[in-house]
Amino acid sequence: MTSGQIETPTTGGSEGAALSCQELKKSFLGVAAVTGATFDVPKGMITALIGPNGAGKTTVVNILSGMMKSDSGSMQVGTVDVTNWESHKIARLGLMRTFQLSRELGGLTVLENLLVAPKHQAGESLFNIFLRPGLAKREELANTERAIEILRTYGLFDLRDNRASELSGGQKKLLEIARAVMAQPKVLLLDEPMAGVNPALIERIGGYILDLKKQGVTVLMVEHNLNVVEKICDHVIVLAEGRTLATGRLSELRANPEVVQAYLGEVINASTTR
Amino acid sequence: MSAFWYYVFTLVFVMFDYFILAMGLNIQYGETGILNFAYIGFVALGAYVTGASSLPPSAGTGQQYIMGWGIPFPFNLLLGGLAASLLAVFVAVVALRRLRTDYLAVVLISFSLVFYDITNNYVPLFNGADGLYNVPEPLASVFKLTTNSFVPFFAVVAGLIALIMWWAMSRITNSPLGRTFRAIRDDDGVAAALGKGVFRYQLTSMLIGAFYAGVGGGLLVQFGGSFNTSSWLPAETFVVFAVIIVGGVGNNVGLLVGSLLVETLLIHLPAFLPDIPGHPGLIQYIDTMVVGVLLWVMLWFRPQGVVPERVRKTPLSLLQGLKSDRTANAEVPAMSLVDGAGVVEEGGVRD
Repeated sequence: MTSGQIETPTTGGSEGAALSCQELKKSFLGVAAVTGATFDVPKGMITALIGPNGAGKTTVVNILSGMMKSDSGSMQVGTVDVTNWESHKIARLGLMRTFQLSRELGGLTVLENLLVAPKHQAGESLFNIFLRPGLAKREELANTERAIEILRTYGLFDLRDNRASELSGGQKKLLEIARAVMAQPKVLLLDEPMAGVNPALIERIGGYILDLKKQGVTVLMVEHNLNVVEKICDHVIVLAEGRTLATGRLSELRANPEVVQAYLGEVINASTTR
Repeated sequence: MSAFWYYVFTLVFVMFDYFILAMGLNIQYGETGILNFAYIGFVALGAYVTGASSLPPSAGTGQQYIMGWGIPFPFNLLLGGLAASLLAVFVAVVALRRLRTDYLAVVLISFSLVFYDITNNYVPLFNGADGLYNVPEPLASVFKLTTNSFVPFFAVVAGLIALIMWWAMSRITNSPLGRTFRAIRDDDGVAAALGKGVFRYQLTSMLIGAFYAGVGGGLLVQFGGSFNTSSWLPAETFVVFAVIIVGGVGNNVGLLVGSLLVETLLIHLPAFLPDIPGHPGLIQYIDTMVVGVLLWVMLWFRPQGVVPERVRKTPLSLLQGLKSDRTANAEVPAMSLVDGAGVVEEGGVRD
């Protein structure tokens, strides 16, 4: 991605927001999944997207990342209107994502999973492969060194030469985040990064996410674990029945009767009386 | 040269030629995941263009065909490869942009049938069902080759071309481009989410594979001197699939093994055996069944092929270049879910 692309003057996009959407709607064969998602994801912060099952959280993430087209509504990455852009074009603006069910590139090694991520690699061009092999090789070396550094950070260095399909569920979650980090994201969408992982790994993943924030990455994460949301998220968006119900800090949302009734309810009560 | 050596060199040629064809299909299917059931159509186009461009103008030859430019070897062969690549652009734009997996395969096999029918029935194109014949033997006049000496000569030429194409293919499959192809094969959605323009890479893979198909077809027509529609019935595509599945999808060495086992030893070698008395052609039928059973057995018991796709490990030279403290996992950062602990405060996010 170039900074020039992201600065392209366009309509929409709130100031200070790394990612915004307005009135996103999506139906599947007449069944409304998203009925009006409108929110801003503040730049440089960790935002949680929470809501009951079936609220449309993953559909919204799929639309924001370009993997699904919305029926109506608009969205922006920075100030660039990216409504219904193809996912690879959105990714080139610096928006990366992970998936609810890990989607590792199973036939590739762990290291190769990371090496795929950098955009516009010289070695991806036939011209460079045959006529400028030195350039491609130098870039590949630099990318490999960086990938190894990231693998060390994420505790996957020893597994670098294993096929990604051989990893455990938790390791695959880590690999997905590491792969997204390798692509140098500006905005990172994490779809339930803590789902199905053990408590120790939840802590590690939380640490990595906080670390990314320190590096200036904006994070939007779908998360059901309110303990995690409370500890690491600066901002919370509540989605219910496909529309944005409320946004704010979790402490503020606890006092919102609509939010409590739609989602938090007993969960909040339980955690506050603990 | 004795009949024995004639047959041996013919088999050697077949092995190299199918190795080239297998490399072309492998980059499309084995590396990029494109189920190209029209592959034999690209082979045929390469063969026809190579043959028709090297023949003299059709008037007075007793044949009807386009081109007839008398282009010498190897330029006619390059033209055959490029023509197949051009066809790949058309096919990719029509079919590849919107279709995936099974649907793409159905459209491609339909395309193969349409192309077959047009070529078989529209005589002015490539002489219809009779096909091209009297295609010049490449370099025969330069080296004063006889029909007998041409066979070993051209087997060696095919071997050299296969070697060059193997080198080029290895450069591609071992490059970041090859890695991106394999990423698309494993999950095109993830590749797109990483910023890869999937269609562009699939188109590139189709172009490369079609070029190999065209060159392989071009070598066939020049070796045999003739080519007609019975040589490339759409089912022939599955023979090339059998070569790469038996040899090993995604492994260039496996493709050579597959070419030797399936096309050379199982399909072509029995064709030289004498007929079973009273049962003419029976050997060929048995032959086809054996290939089918072999394919079935391989898919059931060893789907990775005789020589499986290799794991591309981190280059040792790179690891040796790293400082010793960089060859282990780093200390893991962690938040704490216990109230009042460390990183939570660092993040400054407590309500």
